[in-house]
Amino acid sequence: MEYLLHILVIAGIYIILTLSLNLIVGYTGLPALGHAAFSCIGAYTSSLLALNMGLSPWIGLLIGACVAAISGIVIGYPAVRLKGDYLALATFGLGVIIYSIAKNWVSLTRGPMGLPGIPGFSIFGFELSETWTYLLLVMIFVAITIFVMRRIVDSPFGSVLRSIREDEVAAETLGKNTVKHKLLVFVIGAFFAGIAGSLYAHYITFIDPSSFTVMESITILLMVIFGGMGTVSGSVVGAVILVVFPELLRFLGMPSSIAAPMRQMIYGLLLVMLMIKRPQGIMGRYQFK
Amino acid sequence: MNSMIQQLMFNGIIAGSIYALIAIGFTVIYRTVKFFHFAHGVVYTAAAYFAYTLIISLNINFILSFFLSIILATILGISIDRSVYYPLRKRNASNLIFLLASFGIFIFLQNLIQLLYGAQILTIRTGPVKEGNHFLGAVITDIQIIILVVSIILMILAWLFIKKTKLGKAMRAVSDDPTAANVVGINPEKTILVSFAIGSALAGAAGILISFETNIEPTMGFTAVLKGIIASIVGGIGNIPGAVLGGFFLGLAENLGIWKISAGWKDSIAFLILIIFLLIRPWGFLGKKTEKDAF
Repeated sequence: MEYLLHILVIAGIYIILTLSLNLIVGYTGLPALGHAAFSCIGAYTSSLLALNMGLSPWIGLLIGACVAAISGIVIGYPAVRLKGDYLALATFGLGVIIYSIAKNWVSLTRGPMGLPGIPGFSIFGFELSETWTYLLLVMIFVAITIFVMRRIVDSPFGSVLRSIREDEVAAETLGKNTVKHKLLVFVIGAFFAGIAGSLYAHYITFIDPSSFTVMESITILLMVIFGGMGTVSGSVVGAVILVVFPELLRFLGMPSSIAAPMRQMIYGLLLVMLMIKRPQGIMGRYQFK
Repeated sequence: MNSMIQQLMFNGIIAGSIYALIAIGFTVIYRTVKFFHFAHGVVYTAAAYFAYTLIISLNINFILSFFLSIILATILGISIDRSVYYPLRKRNASNLIFLLASFGIFIFLQNLIQLLYGAQILTIRTGPVKEGNHFLGAVITDIQIIILVVSIILMILAWLFIKKTKLGKAMRAVSDDPTAANVVGINPEKTILVSFAIGSALAGAAGILISFETNIEPTMGFTAVLKGIIASIVGGIGNIPGAVLGGFFLGLAENLGIWKISAGWKDSIAFLILIIFLLIRPWGFLGKKTEKDAF
């Protein structure tokens, strides 16, 4: 039961990641491959603030998300000037650079040794140490994320995003500043990914760079595509299925040295099958052009 | 101090020759299909593991194993094209869909290798490590000399094949204008098959050569293919001399770049170079400024 709750917490964190990437990839049509970099920045910022300065995780979460959002400008700036697979490659590269910084700036991040002993959240002195209390917290953040994403995509701003996706030149012709919109989308996506990273760090209480590799970014992208690009409910479904389903391997009694590569093999195969058979995902309306 | 620079330069040239081999293979494929064949990296990894299996598990000698592994890598490359890319071509899928499918193949095969051989590093080297030769103030191992010589021979062979043979000319024709090539009776599918064969053989050769020099691990193809792609873009995407130039440039830049900082930053240097090129000169050193819609 405890284990099931744990899986649901992880699924909740992935829902936030998938929703925030869906805004960039699914709604605006920008193939960003470095999403784990933003959660990396959020996770490290809020963990380091808590460990080195004794700051409350609540404030750390907010600052972490803001730092991630600022990095969204830095990463988005070169990215939005490129198109298609070049944009994919550039965001991919920036993802590798952020990962390298986490791994090599040893004096700050302790490199591959990671940061142990990250404190958890507490409300009015009541520490959220039980998994179910943490699940509740994550669910609140998932609800906030879903609410904000729906508001964004149903707003005039969201319509501009879809018009950029469908025909960028036409959107420009109508006087829309597409570069500004694309940058803003990166900032919003990075902000929520930062929250997810921070939630993860204070839950697991340990982070190291290996949680934020480019493969992780591709996994999040797979969740977006699998659920369906450009749909909020698709992201929720995609994240939940792809987090929960591979866990069944463990129930079959596989040791983790087999279950870990098996899980990745399933992801890889799924990505190939989706591209061949159903590039718009199970509930999606849009596929990459 | 001085010999330090010479050593770093030499390391850069060795790394550069491997990058150049991967980049040429990548470029040969890119020219005919026009998408980023990321799974190129897993062909490189697989070739190293083929060599490991043949040499260590089956006790076949080095030279024979080298050629057998290249043949196996070639078969793998062609199978990837036939099983995944061919149905996508039939459907006229976009470049991005090809790239994502390619990531999928990469992840699948890399983890299959990990499942079969384990995540730990393996070594092909048999016998004791010999002391390197001293040359112009740098220490060079025999294997490094072999790597350099074999890669230069392979680069020349690939160049001659594309310039001189009929198949090579057909590949260039398909690259320049697929429709016109089809009109004059060049079979595009056959040309794509040949380019995957040559490209995969070159990636395979690079993987086997590096496995003689260092340890092998399932994740080795990831950075390797990225360096190959960066080298291709820096040199000018789709340009074969550019791929060679980009490979050596990248190898030297990375190795001289870590002169004052830790070697862990190599990948960051490579990607920084990529991003600078994508922003300032996306057509690379030798490319032409024609692919305007890509940038």
